[in-house]
Amino acid sequence: MHQFRLIIKRMLFWMILLSFLGLILIPIYWMLNTSLKNPREVISSVPTFFPHDPTLENYGKVFQAGIWRNFFNTVMVSFSATLISILLAFLASYALVRYRFPFSINKLFLIWVLAVRILPPIVLAVPLFNIFNAVGLINSLSGLVVAFQIYTLPYSIWIIYGFLKALPIEFEEAATLDGASPLRVLVSVVAPLVRTGVIATSIFALILAWNEFMFALLFVRTPRLLTLPVVISRYIGEYSTQWGELMAIGLLASLPILLFSNFVYRQLTEGFSMSLK
Amino acid sequence: MKNKDRISYNSFFYIIFAPALLLVLFLTAYPLGTVLHDSFFRYDFITGAKDYIGFQNYIRIAGDELFQRSFRNTLVFTFFASVLEVFFGVLLAFLLYGSFKGKKAASLIIIFPMIISTMVICAVWQIFYHYEIGLFNYVLRNIGMQPVGWLTDQRIALYSIILVDIWQWTPFTFLIIQAGMSSIPYELFEAARIDGAKKTQIARTITLPILSTQILLVLMLRTLDTFRLFDKVYALTGGGPANSTQTLSFYIYREGFSFFNFGRASAASVITLFFVAFLAMFYLRRLLKEDD
Repeated sequence: MHQFRLIIKRMLFWMILLSFLGLILIPIYWMLNTSLKNPREVISSVPTFFPHDPTLENYGKVFQAGIWRNFFNTVMVSFSATLISILLAFLASYALVRYRFPFSINKLFLIWVLAVRILPPIVLAVPLFNIFNAVGLINSLSGLVVAFQIYTLPYSIWIIYGFLKALPIEFEEAATLDGASPLRVLVSVVAPLVRTGVIATSIFALILAWNEFMFALLFVRTPRLLTLPVVISRYIGEYSTQWGELMAIGLLASLPILLFSNFVYRQLTEGFSMSLK
Repeated sequence: MKNKDRISYNSFFYIIFAPALLLVLFLTAYPLGTVLHDSFFRYDFITGAKDYIGFQNYIRIAGDELFQRSFRNTLVFTFFASVLEVFFGVLLAFLLYGSFKGKKAASLIIIFPMIISTMVICAVWQIFYHYEIGLFNYVLRNIGMQPVGWLTDQRIALYSIILVDIWQWTPFTFLIIQAGMSSIPYELFEAARIDGAKKTQIARTITLPILSTQILLVLMLRTLDTFRLFDKVYALTGGGPANSTQTLSFYIYREGFSFFNFGRASAASVITLFFVAFLAMFYLRRLLKEDD
């Protein structure tokens, strides 16, 4: 009897878990499924769960339309934005942890940065557009790299600050006694010690920048310079949407992240349990 | 330390701090100042002239039916999306507590939605919601029900967007709550079990109270994030049908970028900022109390 109840319980558990996983996987599967269908099958009012006549036609069209260009833009912008954020955040956080600036700037700056993380970015978009326009950063990829700092920099500062704060000062003191300059200490003592934390932070920043939509939409107009999320939004907006091609682009845009998801998951869980302490 | 060393030591820290400080101020402080300033002016886009008009922009907006609508929609969206995301996140975390075969694979799959681009997600859901070719209406028709205009019916569209947000962000609440759960010492459960407590009792009297800080934290993060809803509205409905999915962010976007009403966009921004600050204070006060 007891045994029987245990089996029922196990079965119930797996049923619930599998339905949750199903809910998550179906949309992703649907992307793959639709991207392999021909246009006629896509608009059939009876959705097919497998492409009856699998074709790579959609991928071909998407590449012909020059999706490589947009893919490349996205890679360039997100990697540059991440690199800049991580570098600036690392330097600033170290200063905040090891040096007391006057007028409690340390505390004020951290609170300000947190406030930036909270505020709706559209609030900044109108005035920033005018400023960027005046200095020639509109319609350029470098403008996007700068604008993305609104997301990636506060985020990186908070997390890297946490990692540096947890670092014992003894190593640095020993190096200073040996006559190393502050810069030397920072580069060859501190940086290696927080390497893993910095890598984790760059992963989050990279995903943020890779998926960013609003500034990419508002600050860049030339098709040649668009990033993938904006290209996708344009496809969605079209009257007779090319669903197959849209799904092909969606899959291409998600693939780099999904391929690394194992790594991302490990970093995420470690990052969160760190930041909760 | 010698005087010269002291100066170079100090300047080192100023130099490494300056770039981030300046960039953050350039990207946030200056624009926010501009927003506050512009909210008291009428801005003529064609001539570039600016007139000081006091609180006129605020008064106009407060009386604007569309603004009120946007505010209401934002509140509805924020409330349902954040509460349900936290609810499902807790549910999932409880479901995946303890060890079983395939736990790692399951957790890995669960995080997929939160790392995919919002636009990609909107694209897939747009197909699901499609009136003629969508999966949802196909299922409805098959069980003999009337198809639904998921994104075209003004009573339903906002809730359809909420559903997409729940799908995308429940993984995030799950991750944080799971991290909180794993920090609870196992002995606590053992002790309760020896005392004869049932599983549901343990969950209610031990796990949930310990998790309350995490739950509050994640609720705050989701509240503030859902409050800025823009992308999904832009991609899925464009604010329609009949403004039923207009949100504050979308209102500001339209005033600023479609109508070039910088004054009104700024006034709406200031009101939004005040409300966000209020929400943040509300949660932070409770969080800090929990900490004591």
